[in-house]
This record gives sequence, C-alpha cells and structure tokens, in this order.
Amino acid sequence: MNLRNALVVLVCLLASILESTVPFLLHLKAARADLLLSVVLYLALNDEVVQGAALSLVAGYLSDLTSATPPCLYTVLAVLTFVVVRLAGSAIKTGGGIQSAAVAFAASLIHSTLAAVLFYFVAPGSEGLVLQFVPLFWSALATAIAAPAVFSVLRRLDAKLVPAEGTTLVR
Amino acid sequence: MRSLLRRYREPIYVAFLLAAPFAVFAARARQPMGHSWFDRAVLALTAPVEKGIVVVANGVQEAWGSYVALRGVREENLRLRREVLHERAQTNGFLEIKAENERLKRLLEYADKTSPTRYLVAEVIAVGASPHSHVLRIARGTADGVIQGAPVVAPDGVVGQVAVATAHYADVQLILSPVSAIPAISQRTRGRSTVKGVGDVTRCKLEYALRTDDLQDGDLLLTAGGPGFFPKGLPIGRVVNVQKRPTGMFTAADVIPAVAFSRLDEVMVMLGHVPPPSSSANALRGEP
Repeated sequence: MNLRNALVVLVCLLASILESTVPFLLHLKAARADLLLSVVLYLALNDEVVQGAALSLVAGYLSDLTSATPPCLYTVLAVLTFVVVRLAGSAIKTGGGIQSAAVAFAASLIHSTLAAVLFYFVAPGSEGLVLQFVPLFWSALATAIAAPAVFSVLRRLDAKLVPAEGTTLVR
Repeated sequence: MRSLLRRYREPIYVAFLLAAPFAVFAARARQPMGHSWFDRAVLALTAPVEKGIVVVANGVQEAWGSYVALRGVREENLRLRREVLHERAQTNGFLEIKAENERLKRLLEYADKTSPTRYLVAEVIAVGASPHSHVLRIARGTADGVIQGAPVVAPDGVVGQVAVATAHYADVQLILSPVSAIPAISQRTRGRSTVKGVGDVTRCKLEYALRTDDLQDGDLLLTAGGPGFFPKGLPIGRVVNVQKRPTGMFTAADVIPAVAFSRLDEVMVMLGHVPPPSSSANALRGEP
C-alpha cells in the first residue's frame, strides 16, 4: 500500500469517527451526513479503477463495522456505488462545490434506498419494505452539505501526493 | 488465456471485489451479528478516539456551563430547592407504599424475581456510523459483564438491546431498529401488544393490539416481560395515531418512544435480569 492509499484509508477512519461522534454531540436525529459515501464518490470520479474499488471496499467495511447491520451490507453498496458512479463518470462533473453537493445528494438518496431495500429484504421478522423518505431526504441533504468538504480534503491530499504531470488519477 | 486475463484484469478485479462481500452478505445476513478479531482490532483503534472526542467536547461544554453561563444560577438554585422539598415529600410517600408492598409480599410468600438484576451504568460515546443505523456505542463491554442481548434502559424507559460486544465497548441496537420487537402491555387497559421498530427515528409501530382493547392516544405502554425480553413494567412509549378499523382483529397505531435517543449521555445495561422460567417457577414454590 502506497502513502496515498494509506492516507485515504486514514481519511476513511476519520470520516467514520466523525460520522459516529458528531451526530451524537449535536443530538442530530435524521440529518446525518454519510461522509464515507462522499469518499466513495470521490474515488469513483478521480481514482484508478482497481485502486478505487479496493478503497471503496475499505470505506464500506468501516461503515458496516459500526452499523450493526447484516455483515457486508454497506461494503457491497460501497463497491456497487463505486462501479455505478464510475460507469456514469463521464456524465458527472464535480468541479465546483455545488456540483459535488448535487452529485452527493443524488447518490445518497439512491444509496440509502438501496440500503433500505437490502436491509428489509434480509432483516429477521421484517414484513416488507418500509421506506422512510423524510429521514432519507435529511440524510441526503446533510451528505450534500458535507461532500464538498470531503472532496476538498481528498483533492488537497491528491495534489500533494500525485505526481506533478497529472492532476487526476483517472485512466 | 493469460493475455485475456491481463486484458480484462480491471473488470475481473472489480467483479471480485463486488462478489466477495455480496457472498458474505448473502450467507450471513440472517445469522446473529458478531465481530471477528480484525473487526475488534479496528474498533479498539477507533472507539478510544470517539470516546476522547466526546470527553473533550463534553468537557468544553461543561466548562462553558460552569464558568460562562452562570447567569440565572441563583434563581435556578431556589427552584431546585423547592423541587427537592417537593420530591422529598413524594419520596416519603413512596417509602410508605414500598414498606406496605413488602409487608404484603411477605404475606403472600412472594419471591422477588427482580433481585438478581444488576444495573451497569454505561457512558454513550457514539452512534452508528451509517445515518440509517439505529445503534449507540457504549463504553462498557464483555470485560464489565455485558453480554449480547442484554437489555439497555435509561431513566425514561427502554433503550434497546446489546447487539454486539467487544471487551470494552458494545453496540446497542435501539428499539427504533426494524429488527426490534418488544412485547408490551398498556398501563391503563392492560391489553397486550408488540412494539416494533420501523427504522423511523421518531416513532415505532404498534402491532397485535386487539381491536376490542380500548386503546387511546396518550396511553402509556410498558414492557410485558417474559424470558429473553425486558423485565416487566419499564416504560416503552406513548400511543399515538390510533386507527380504529371497523373490521379485522387488530388496531393500528404508532408509538412515540419514552426515551429521547438523540439526547442520551448515559444508559444502564441490565445484567442477569432473566432467570430461566423453570428456576423462577421453582423459586416461587420454594424448591431448589
């Protein structure tokens, strides 16, 4: 693992810790930002395929670890999100803060809906799909607000570590 | 073959990264949750940092409360003194009732089933990382006697159950979670029902409440007890949105939890509260 990947994993760890502590300290109920999803989005739009998929898997694993959901639910979703966003990559622009926020908002809504569908599909004793759209909306909004900051941190990290000839890792 | 593999290296690799966790998910989704040694190692790394952040933030908050926001302390002190006097009067009344209750219990040769229960106060240090999880992390673990499935309560009522526990930390699945279902009893009507989480952070769903029960908005629901569940009589929440249907067996309603989950700083883990049904029955009969 090179230094850049190690630092991305560290950013994922910090994002996981912030996701766990900030909503608790601020007494947030639904408006909780999915910072790890923002990391996955950044990787999908700026990283190499193999490396980005592996790092997305790490981000999903960290999300799984503190969610007490069925094992690997968020890991699967993180890699799936990476693949889908990667395939749609050419149509997605995240140059500015507002663009990043819009992409994160849409991705969060889809990601949360998929998580809810998978979760209710396997949750013991579940009686079918019950989607709570209001919490999903607030969570997506918080993710959209936080995403530009996460993108900015990762961009700065890449700017310092990626060789000068290329401004992006995308191949 | 080798050239093909080299050519499609990236799609193959990504497909593997997608398939491997999906296989684990599909195989273990319905099994009880648990942590591997690697999970525990990562938690041992992150949980102390989470605890540190919370301690520092709470410290700053307390410092602010102690040294800066002193205005109104005198008035609050007087109000609290009045409240203490009022509470003392109430406590005296309760003590009388307790003494009377104990006398009556002795008369009925009633064996106290709740005596083995031990409350372990646990500090909440974080919430589940995913915005859609309904989990609290507490700074108590198996080293303190916490076990998987142990009920967790707060002064206002039921919080949830321990989902997974490591040596020094445990994750508590809240009653809001879709995998949570608690047998309940209405304090007023004594009608039985089940309170089920639906994933909403503000309310649960009431199930299996008989239509013939006179359930009304505002009714307080308590835990119904039973082996493997919460002890009897703990507040769960209040009934709202009662929908009386002209047909069918059950009444539909929502439940607003008694506990404000987003404002929990400490909780209590109940240890050893559930005696096996046979032994409690024997104890009542005075048999070994």
